Amino acid sequence: MKPKVAFFDFAGCEGDQLQIANLEEEILDLLGQVEVVSFREVMKEHSDDYDIAFVEGSCTRIQDEERLKQIRKNASVVVAIGSCATIGGINSLKNYQNLDAVKKTVYGEKADLFDTYLARPIDAVISVDAYVHGCPMTKEEFLHVVKSLLLGKKPDIPNYPVCVECKKNENVCAFERGEFCIGPVTRAGCNSCCVNEGTKCWGCRGLVDNPNENSQKEVLIKYGLSVDEAISKFRLYFGWEKKQ
Amino acid sequence: MHTLSKEAFEEFIDNLIADNSLNVVGVKSKGEKFAFGPLESANQLRLDYDVTLLPPKKYFFPQRETLVTFDVASGFQAKDPKESKSNVLVGVHPYDIMALLHMDEVFRETKSDPYYLERRNSSVIIGVNIQNLTEQCFAPSMGCATVDYGYDLMLTNLGEKYAIDVGSHKGADILNKYAKNAKKAFARDIQAVGKKKMEIVNMAQQKFNFSSELIPEMLGKFYEKDSFWKDHSEECLSCGSCVLVCPTCYCFDVKDNPDLSLKKGERTRTWDGCLLEDFAKVASGENFRDTKATRYRHRYFKKGKYLFDRFGFVSCVGCGRCSSNCLPDIANPVNLFNDMYAESLKSGIEIDSVPVPDISIKTGEIIEFAPKIATIVKKVPMTANEIMFELKLDNETDLGHQPGQFVQVSVFGVGEAPFGVSSSPTKKGTFELCIRKLGNVTSKIHTLNEGDKVGIRGPFGKGFDAEFLKGKDLLFVAGGLGIVPLRSLFNYVLANRKDYGRVILLYGCKEPRELLFADEILELEDRDDVEFMSTVDWCPENEVWTSNVGVITTLIPKVDFDPQKTYAVVVGPPIMYKFVIKDLKSRNVPDDHIIVSLERRMKCGVGKCGHCQINQLYVCKDGPVFYYSDIKGVPEAL
Ligand SMILES: Cc1cc2nc3c(=O)[nH]c(=O)nc-3n(C[C@H](O)[C@H](O)[C@H](O)COP(=O)(O)OP(=O)(O)OC[C@H]3O[C@@H](n4cnc5c(N)ncnc54)[C@H](O)[C@@H]3O)c2cc1C
Ligand code: SF4
Ligand code: SF4
Ligand code: SF4
Ligand code: SF4
Ligand code: SF4
Ligand code: FES
Repeated sequence: MKPKVAFFDFAGCEGDQLQIANLEEEILDLLGQVEVVSFREVMKEHSDDYDIAFVEGSCTRIQDEERLKQIRKNASVVVAIGSCATIGGINSLKNYQNLDAVKKTVYGEKADLFDTYLARPIDAVISVDAYVHGCPMTKEEFLHVVKSLLLGKKPDIPNYPVCVECKKNENVCAFERGEFCIGPVTRAGCNSCCVNEGTKCWGCRGLVDNPNENSQKEVLIKYGLSVDEAISKFRLYFGWEKKQ
Repeated sequence: MHTLSKEAFEEFIDNLIADNSLNVVGVKSKGEKFAFGPLESANQLRLDYDVTLLPPKKYFFPQRETLVTFDVASGFQAKDPKESKSNVLVGVHPYDIMALLHMDEVFRETKSDPYYLERRNSSVIIGVNIQNLTEQCFAPSMGCATVDYGYDLMLTNLGEKYAIDVGSHKGADILNKYAKNAKKAFARDIQAVGKKKMEIVNMAQQKFNFSSELIPEMLGKFYEKDSFWKDHSEECLSCGSCVLVCPTCYCFDVKDNPDLSLKKGERTRTWDGCLLEDFAKVASGENFRDTKATRYRHRYFKKGKYLFDRFGFVSCVGCGRCSSNCLPDIANPVNLFNDMYAESLKSGIEIDSVPVPDISIKTGEIIEFAPKIATIVKKVPMTANEIMFELKLDNETDLGHQPGQFVQVSVFGVGEAPFGVSSSPTKKGTFELCIRKLGNVTSKIHTLNEGDKVGIRGPFGKGFDAEFLKGKDLLFVAGGLGIVPLRSLFNYVLANRKDYGRVILLYGCKEPRELLFADEILELEDRDDVEFMSTVDWCPENEVWTSNVGVITTLIPKVDFDPQKTYAVVVGPPIMYKFVIKDLKSRNVPDDHIIVSLERRMKCGVGKCGHCQINQLYVCKDGPVFYYSDIKGVPEAL
């Protein structure tokens, strides 16, 4: 029997589901292995009978927690996809600001009608079996994770920093180009794609297990950032992880 | 020596490029830096470069390459090492040539790597004498600023022309075939080349404050200076940059990548590095180099001492890439060794240079990367977490192992993992493995059933010397899963019982329900030619246990043995060794009468990937079985 698969979205841009919808040919092969029962991005039907749940977006409201818990109950495997779901992502930027102020900016006068609380990755609410990091995630890694789950193995997600891939790709280091990069503390797995394109790493895949943040900060400062600027480098994506 | 005018040189290179049977690569600019890449025209060449981002090793040992393809229907197929085109590398600096000569030794030793060697044999190296150096380069201090061999052609820029030294027949042929108007060099050209080579030696800004010959000896005296290593590695990002860019680093990881059918796929190897946090971590969660300091130290020892002891050279060519790629700037060998030297002066540590060790390197065998297929003929659950599998090679041959050797078992699409063979070689036709469920490979194996296929490589490593042990009294000490490899020798001894003296088995596990081979052990009770005792660390209330309760060392005082006649075979979890060995020593068992079997993370199984290394030794190749006398001076061993 093919495993039944469902996709869910929370606070996020749905960029990750788009990546999946964009899998084109590969999706045909993939569909041979699984049965998609719910996927708002491409289909209308919905079913609560599924084995693997892919969850995109972060949890930003109390009400989200209930829905997540229901998904956890229904599914035997829960996979977080994209930075918002895996590490809190960009949403957790707001964790550094006054929440009421954030609400006002976002919702203006209607702010009081909305509940919002610290944006968090879904594993802050339910247990998660596998992660597809990235903002947006890459389809290569998504396929890797799906294949691994179907084979019954733990997906191989690196616990080394982006620099490893960056060196293998023989890039000129961002620091040598006068830019500031947080690849040395960011979990690899994206094949250092941003640096390959001539920019730098912003940290969208979250921190490695044991980042040497002090050293990273000192490096940023050595190359010319102020202490505050160095700290703010960590906030774009590491907002939730840093609060913990 | 020959000379070619600059125009004639460009024509020479363009002729090489025009030949479609060749893949011509050379040094080109990349942003503000330089890199080897495919040449479309000679005018892309930047022979005035200082250093390339990655060394040319990427053409011989690429960042990622397929070793084996697999198909559930037809098994494993090793990739053909033959390349369709030969590489011509234009503009290799002498230190990188030297680094390739170092790599040759590594990939040739004992079992040779067919992919690396084939690429080396089919490639052409056109070197160039250094015109510019980075601030971090210290090649002259390592004696690697110039080379007299290791190239097919060597260029020296003499202004309006290049001097070309021919280093091999291949080089002569290439020059003959593709270069027009090559002239014989005049005496003054030869002199000019000599002068240029002398100048290079003085160009470097980084220098040791002592003779580099002292490095191996000095390292030896600093191994245990924990604060020295801790202080120097405090800022380490564990980013691996220093090893990934190094022309003499060769460690790799191996991974299986199934395609979407999940039935076919490939096994690839990728660059890995000992500075990365999980390099020496095993499935049980134990990390044999769990601090920045120990990993950082390992790199310097590997280059400065272990490879020196093994091959007779310090495996650093002074290219300076590690230091220019280390963001916190802590990877510069010149700074580290100068600090070490200063500290040794300060604390009065005397350092003499050591003679180059006697090296005898075995070569000849070729690594077989493709596993043979075996079928599971029997699956017997032993405990909640351990299952015994009886396997039969599909080619109907015996495994041909020595007691104590191990095999690498492949599960399609999931990966490969090492397991000690648990059956005695006297058991013919099939062999047994007893596997504890921990991570990916082991969990998947547990789901396989009789009739299912797996891949087998090996047997590998050095086992127990059953021949040598004949006539001796044997004291077997097994802790937990340690009984598994030990059983191969134990059963062998029982099958040849009259050849051995006393046989004593002490076996301990955590609790009664974890006891392995319970049936066989029960039978031992009835034998009068085997002395047997067992123990559990503790017995929960709902279980029954009538023997000893306490850790394994509580059994040792209960047996009487003659330490001079007895050989102790000890296998168990890492923490058991320290205690058991201490007790055996206090009973006067000589160090060379204590035999252990070690376990480390493994990938290749043949002494190449670097994962299983304990100081200078490779567990997969020099072990897993060791005499205590051989490893008591090896700090990472126990
Ligand atoms: C010489 C030797 C003999 C062994 N004999 C046995 C045995 O008889 N029975 C048994 O149950 N186990 C044995 N082990 C341990 C066994 O190899 C590991 O439990 C196994 O590799 C875990 O693989 P995994 O894929 O399930 O775990 P994961 O955590 O998914 O590991 C991934 C990969 O890392 C490597 N790796 C991880 N842990 C180890 C390890 N402990 N040793 C070597 N490589 C590792 C392997 O390549 C493995 O495939 C032995 C190990 C060695 C070195
Ligand atoms: S660009 Fe960033 S990721 Fe790449 S090596 Fe430099 S610091 Fe590391
Ligand atoms: S390079 Fe950095 S920012 Fe870019 S995808 Fe990778 S982790 Fe994300
Ligand atoms: S390059 Fe520097 S920071 Fe990175 S692993 Fe090496 S020593 Fe550590
Ligand atoms: S250790 Fe550093 S200097 Fe020595 S060869 Fe490697 S990268 Fe070059
Ligand atoms: S063990 Fe040696 S060869 Fe391997 S990465 Fe470390 S320094 Fe390099
Ligand atoms: S060197 Fe690769 S496993 Fe030992």
